[in-house]
Amino acid sequence: MNPERWQQISRIFKSAVSLDPEARNAYVAGQCGSDDSLRAEVEKLIESHQQASEEDFIGGMAAEAAAPLLVVVEDEVGPPQRTLNNGQQFGSYVILDALGAGGMGEVYLARDTRLDRTVALKILPPDITADKRRMQRFRQEAKVASSLNQPNILTVFEFGEVGGLTFLATEFVDGETLRDHLRGKKKLKLVEILDINIQVLAALDAAHEASIVHRDIKPENVMIRRRDHVVKVLDFGLAKVTEKKISKGEEESEAVTAFKTAPGIIMGTINYMSPEQAQAAATDQRTDIWSTGVMLYEMVSGKMPFSGVTTSHTIVQILEKDPSPLTKDVPAELERIVLKAMAKDPDERYQTAKDMLIDLRSLKRKLEVQAEIDRTSSPSTERAAVVGDQPPVVHGNKRGLVIMLVTAMVLVTATIFGINMWRSARERAKVVTPAAPVPATSDERQLTYWITVQKFKGGKPYQNPFPLAGEINFEPTYQIRVNVRSPQAGHLYILSEGPASTQPEFVVLFPSTTANEGSSLLTATQTVQIPEKSWFQFDQQRGTEKLWLVFSADPVPELESVKQYANRQTKGLIPNAAENKSVQNFLTEHSASKPQSEKGESVTILKTPGNLLVYALRLEHH
Amino acid sequence: MTRPPQHNITQLLAKWRDGNQSALDELYPLVYDELHRLARRYMSRERRGHTLQTTALINEAYVRLVDQKNVHWANRSHFFAISAQIMRRILIDHARRHLYAKRGGGAQRVSLEEVAAITPNASRELVRLDEALKSLAEMDPRRSQVVELRYFGGLNNEEIAGVLNISANTVTRDWNMARAWLYQQLSENAAN
Repeated sequence: MNPERWQQISRIFKSAVSLDPEARNAYVAGQCGSDDSLRAEVEKLIESHQQASEEDFIGGMAAEAAAPLLVVVEDEVGPPQRTLNNGQQFGSYVILDALGAGGMGEVYLARDTRLDRTVALKILPPDITADKRRMQRFRQEAKVASSLNQPNILTVFEFGEVGGLTFLATEFVDGETLRDHLRGKKKLKLVEILDINIQVLAALDAAHEASIVHRDIKPENVMIRRRDHVVKVLDFGLAKVTEKKISKGEEESEAVTAFKTAPGIIMGTINYMSPEQAQAAATDQRTDIWSTGVMLYEMVSGKMPFSGVTTSHTIVQILEKDPSPLTKDVPAELERIVLKAMAKDPDERYQTAKDMLIDLRSLKRKLEVQAEIDRTSSPSTERAAVVGDQPPVVHGNKRGLVIMLVTAMVLVTATIFGINMWRSARERAKVVTPAAPVPATSDERQLTYWITVQKFKGGKPYQNPFPLAGEINFEPTYQIRVNVRSPQAGHLYILSEGPASTQPEFVVLFPSTTANEGSSLLTATQTVQIPEKSWFQFDQQRGTEKLWLVFSADPVPELESVKQYANRQTKGLIPNAAENKSVQNFLTEHSASKPQSEKGESVTILKTPGNLLVYALRLEHH
Repeated sequence: MTRPPQHNITQLLAKWRDGNQSALDELYPLVYDELHRLARRYMSRERRGHTLQTTALINEAYVRLVDQKNVHWANRSHFFAISAQIMRRILIDHARRHLYAKRGGGAQRVSLEEVAAITPNASRELVRLDEALKSLAEMDPRRSQVVELRYFGGLNNEEIAGVLNISANTVTRDWNMARAWLYQQLSENAAN
């Protein structure tokens, strides 16, 4: 665009955005006259302006968005204090990485060598295990959570002790806590807020059905899985089986409840505490409804409903103060739901998580229908915010019919989508496991590979990841992961080679310090993911990337000597020209005879006579 | 402990303000190192707590780097302006390095890149924003600078108005226009 045109657009835009929608259209039309392309550009920019404000685009600061990069690239300050080291054996687990440390102990990423699965391992520091009360809490968390089986509840695998350290092994969720999620973005979309809370309530509904009360619902205890945004409720540490455990009579159990929920003893955050918890009175499942209400209020308004300068001030507010009304752009129905969840008297609240869930879900549908109508009915007029304040105003029968039809359509879609979501959540574990391995003879090498693809649309993951037999053209916005396994044991090496250049450079991807503990030796049917618990992403440059798969009965000296570079510092890049050359020679020499390749529906099987298989997997993107 | 060469920096800032562009080249690595060091320290301290406060960071760097006795201009606007620029470069450098880390120094681009465990698309988005901002600067340097000061420098509208010597209302209008245009550029790129 030339500067004159830009000035022209900017002059009209400047005045137009300060006008209300109707006056704006007239103004833009008047200013642009017969210049249709000018008008289109101005309108497009106004539309972008509205979108950008709605999404709070670059509303924060670059340093906030990029802050993790500052520490990812260089970790000069050193890791936080930790009890276990990477690669260390801990019972039947091998420690892979530290995930973090919280009030209730250190959390590690670990591999369970018996079942060959990745887990999150929570270790209690010795000073806490000495505290019987906290130990009891921990033990309870393990037992209670294990007895539940619901997709939105974090699955607990094992509770145990190794060398005097007490640990809890749970499902590993690759994602962030709702607290971090709220920090990361300035403003969540209303539909997303509703979706998160609906999932939290689904978890609570299942727990309540089993007479388990969480008692500590807060954003820190809610995880959002990165790949599909499935919500997981964690830390049933305060949960208590309300009925089953009453064995010594009602009175004592009441006393225990009061003691456990007394502020300052166990609870870290009091802002989400219900009035009955704050008073150390008897609590039941309705305390979780309250806390969910507080969380919902916070997510919608960005503020805590009850927050005093001291703990006692906060408690007084919880007991006496009505939360400030939500702003006008929040739908009245949502305000009603939030206030009902936060009724001081438990009898006036939603009595079950399911009731609240149903109200949130129908509100979410209403908003989606409205957004659909806004999108389809009049693209030229002012876009109503998706957040919309009231149900659409209906003028005459014709519009009403359209709304009804769209409603019906969206409801059907939502139902189908809902079923798919549930089904896929259950089946996801199975999806990527290919058919039973074909027996291989001893005088040949066999390797199976497939590629997991995650589509992206508008910067967000789109649909669930799916397996592909490989070698297709990828969209630049896709993320992929390569999976390899063999019916035979052997030594596996995976290297990538960048787009053609005079001197190819190789990057060692497997084995690495984190993948397979630096060993190239694979057991029969062991599956290797590259990159493990992460994705590859293409850059904007088109081209072909070669991924070299080498599978050998014996260790390959040329590759054994470079696997040391697959660490955090060098990131797999072979820094030494001579070694790089020797890798190149090896690959060139042995790739002359190509393995036989059988491409199936979701996997490709490679076979070659002898005891060495070398294959270049080509990943093209456009 | 080595102290940053305060006197030197103060002089360089003065030179730069007086129109000596080569002063910027000398200044850049000095301020870069200090900001970078502070950023990392802030992050390690606040990794689990609050988000990084850009202005706090720049203020601290200012106090450490600039010899207060010899500051002879009335406000700190030049320092903020240069800090915003440097902050932008630091972050973009990081994002680029992150994207191309495997090939070292970004000398050669690779098409396959491991996504960071923490921020899958942050690096890419940041680099693209930087590129769009450069295009904007060609058409409209002032609006581009408003975005730089606000988004990379962490300045509020009043502070930006002071630095650029325009009214706060103009800053708001410039911001709206620039943001809308950048948003459009980034979403168009994403769709391609």
